[in-house]
Amino acid sequence: MIEFFQNSIDTFNNTHHIIQLCILLTLLLIAAIIFSLLYLKNLRDRLKIKGRIESTYQKKYASDLIEYLYSADGENINPEQQKKVDYLTKCAQNPLKRKIIIKTFLKLRNEISGETADAIQNLYYQTELIKSASAKLKGKKWDAIARAIKELTQFEIKETHDEIILLINHPKKEVRNEIQKYLVKLFRFDGLEFLDVLESQLSEWDQIQLLEILNKFDNPHIPNLGKWLASENKSVVSFAIKLAKLYNQFNVKDDIINLFEHHDPEIRIQAISVVSHLGIYEAVSILKNNLFNRNLDEQIAFFKMMEDMSTPDEMDFIREFVNHENFYIRISAMKILNLITVDTDNTFRININDTELIIDNVLTKAS
Amino acid sequence: MNFSKKIVLAEDNSILSTLLKFKLEKEGYKLLIASNGKEAVDLIENNNPDMILTDIMMPFISGLEVISHVRNKLEMTTPIVVFSSAGQEEMVLNAFNLGATDFMSKPFSPNELIIRIKRLLQ
Amino acid sequence: MSLNLPSQLIQIFDFLFIGFAIAAIGSYIILAIISAIETINYMKKNSFVNYSEILSSSIAPSISIIAPAYNETLNIVENVRSLLSNHYANYDVIIINDGSKDDTLEKLIEAYDLVKVDYLINNQIPTKPLRKGVFKSTNPAFDKLIVVDKENGGKADALNFGLNISTQRYTACIDVDCLLQEDALQKMIKPFLEATDTQVIAAGGVIRIANSCIIKDGKLLEINLPKKRIVRAQILEYLRAFLLGRMAWSKLNGLLVISGAFGLFEKKIALEIGGYDTKTVGEDMEIIVRMRRHMEEKKIKYRVAYIPDPLCWTEAPDNYKIFISQRNRWTRGTIETLRKHRKVGFNPKYHSLGMLSYPYWLIFERLAPIIEVLGLFYFLFLIVTNNVNWEYAIFFIIIAYLFTVLFSIITIITEELTYHQYRKKGMGMQLIKTAFSEPILHHPFVLYAALKGNFDYYFNKSIKWGEMTRKGMTNN
Repeated sequence: MIEFFQNSIDTFNNTHHIIQLCILLTLLLIAAIIFSLLYLKNLRDRLKIKGRIESTYQKKYASDLIEYLYSADGENINPEQQKKVDYLTKCAQNPLKRKIIIKTFLKLRNEISGETADAIQNLYYQTELIKSASAKLKGKKWDAIARAIKELTQFEIKETHDEIILLINHPKKEVRNEIQKYLVKLFRFDGLEFLDVLESQLSEWDQIQLLEILNKFDNPHIPNLGKWLASENKSVVSFAIKLAKLYNQFNVKDDIINLFEHHDPEIRIQAISVVSHLGIYEAVSILKNNLFNRNLDEQIAFFKMMEDMSTPDEMDFIREFVNHENFYIRISAMKILNLITVDTDNTFRININDTELIIDNVLTKAS
Repeated sequence: MNFSKKIVLAEDNSILSTLLKFKLEKEGYKLLIASNGKEAVDLIENNNPDMILTDIMMPFISGLEVISHVRNKLEMTTPIVVFSSAGQEEMVLNAFNLGATDFMSKPFSPNELIIRIKRLLQ
Repeated sequence: MSLNLPSQLIQIFDFLFIGFAIAAIGSYIILAIISAIETINYMKKNSFVNYSEILSSSIAPSISIIAPAYNETLNIVENVRSLLSNHYANYDVIIINDGSKDDTLEKLIEAYDLVKVDYLINNQIPTKPLRKGVFKSTNPAFDKLIVVDKENGGKADALNFGLNISTQRYTACIDVDCLLQEDALQKMIKPFLEATDTQVIAAGGVIRIANSCIIKDGKLLEINLPKKRIVRAQILEYLRAFLLGRMAWSKLNGLLVISGAFGLFEKKIALEIGGYDTKTVGEDMEIIVRMRRHMEEKKIKYRVAYIPDPLCWTEAPDNYKIFISQRNRWTRGTIETLRKHRKVGFNPKYHSLGMLSYPYWLIFERLAPIIEVLGLFYFLFLIVTNNVNWEYAIFFIIIAYLFTVLFSIITIITEELTYHQYRKKGMGMQLIKTAFSEPILHHPFVLYAALKGNFDYYFNKSIKWGEMTRKGMTNN
């Protein structure tokens, strides 16, 4: 045996350097493969066990939660409920279990309101989950911080407001976004104050999330949008225009008109697009005046607006565009002149009552 | 007497359906639970329930199709209550056009649901 | 026969082939590392994203799903039902019946209560004309559905018609038999909406192989490993490409291809550049290259996004005849696209598109099979002329094989660490077995198909798309 090894090493030392390299490389690769296979097996086993644990606990916590809610008999917690609380508090010390407990609470909390929802909310405090979340706020990892803020948002914990505000200029945009959502969810329109000083861009994704949160509140108290419509931050302007439209802020007419000359074409188009919704009749003549200085997209937006805002005086003006080279402008013109009627699902009917006008032959008819 | 009034609930959130099952059975109703539209239709066809509760957003066969099936193919006049998430107003309108009786938008109060069910089953 | 070849000549060729192999291996390693890091980053960022708000939002942008269909009578009703059940709120489904010779249209009309309608179409891109017309459902439950019946023009032509008829801002071009996950649309639209100063022009996701998976009523119920080796080998190929390749290209902003099975575009840009090219068989790659070129020429900051999450499940060829036909087509598509846009190659004006992506695709995707085969012939030549240094040759083969196997195993490990979709007992072992057998049993077919593709491209102009017989996904 030892002779075999001795012989092998001798042969090895006697061979060419490149072959030595090849042998080493081969052995290295084989070792790496063996190691990877062992790691893979171990990994799969671990994941399987984790999966089983998770699903067991999911079922357990779901039934614990239901029993807790079900056995409520009055305002105060009865001993049976207290047992459940203690049990869940203990489990929540373990990070994996804590994650499952929170997920279970939220799965139900998000669907219901009223007494039952309040009870779940209460449970969040009683099981001291709030402590673990606030502790994470002080940590270093940005994803842990963001997740903690999200949890506090979902459970609407106002108490942590001051700790969270400290992080408002965190370098990571994910953290800043979670903070914005926290402020808006808990403090509604007052939470939008951050728009006053926001320097980074609010992406469409962020805007939609915030608007959807706001959408759920009844009796909205919309602050004056004027200062946001005039913001240096164009995403703030865009967001404010959306708010103006969603909440029918007829009082911002002048601000919207000012935006027709904004330096960003997207903002100009967005401003033109809200004219009909907000009924800004003064805008029509203003836009008509320098229509041809505007780019094509703005002109298309103008004609779309005119579909709802045009008056009989403007028919002659519109008639000139029935044969415009752009499809959308042609269709808008035809709709305004009532040559065609188009439904919301884009099906249409031709109402020719003027044989002199030629309907564009690329209107696709069924027959 | 609420005894043996059968309700079919189509809801893919298992915790929610368990909670509703507890609450409604406490009131004396018998609950049959489906986790998607297809199961719901099967339960409805086999059990002839007195009321149907269905979520709009479900895997594969949506709540809208369940309503359409019940009203048009099965021609049943069973009261149907739909649950919708916020922002699905168009879906809700479609649901009513197809024949839904009432709707509750999520998040909703289970207690209020019980009141509505009682009212509709009178 | 014994030929005394000048040793310098042999050395030069040796270095060339070995050099290429080392470069290829090096590039795989670099791409794998970048992919791994980026995927971990992505998962961190998205672990707490709330997609449900976007789902039901009326402010969220509307998307048109465009799906061309040709002779799909077997499954069309199920496929459409599946597309209609997506959880995104604002979308419509446009099925383009591309001159099918069977009763695809009739089946749809019956299943979805369709009637013919007058419909506004902006014929910005020239296409083959309508045949039977545009149809919509009388049942409000199906008001998302639009069916178009037109003269046959091929997939690219059908997609162009879809671009013309869509009224939404974004279009998702998909294969009609692709099973979309419920949250696929909101995951794909996210990069578009998150962009602030860099515009996102297109987004692609991960395609997973659905063979042997249990799909019932349009929903993926169970993930299984197919029994056939050829399909398993393809699973490994897809995993390698998606997990350890595309994510890196996305980070380097060098992604040249988005799978034709599922891609999301900003419609305006697709229309601006004239839509899909009907003269190529690789229209999915060609349009991305053209879109990128367009943005480079306009000097606008842009990127092509990539979502590493599995979003779409499709059927892969399960016999070698169809497999070879498919890879043949992919090869020809790559050659056509690279040739059409050769002005971009090695051109600093086109930044990473010209200096990184194009050269990589040219050398390691398009030329690699040819170099491999040349290497093989060279080796055979050396054997015949008795000039082989057997020690080197054997080690070269062994090391190449071991590296391939190791790479596949690392791919499997990465899959476990990320999406962990092959959970059943024994699947790990089966994938490993495939990793060992693939380079020997499967790779030759891949090579053959690529060669045939080259041959057909240069010498056989009449061939076009080839067949894909539908087996139907509602099976197990």
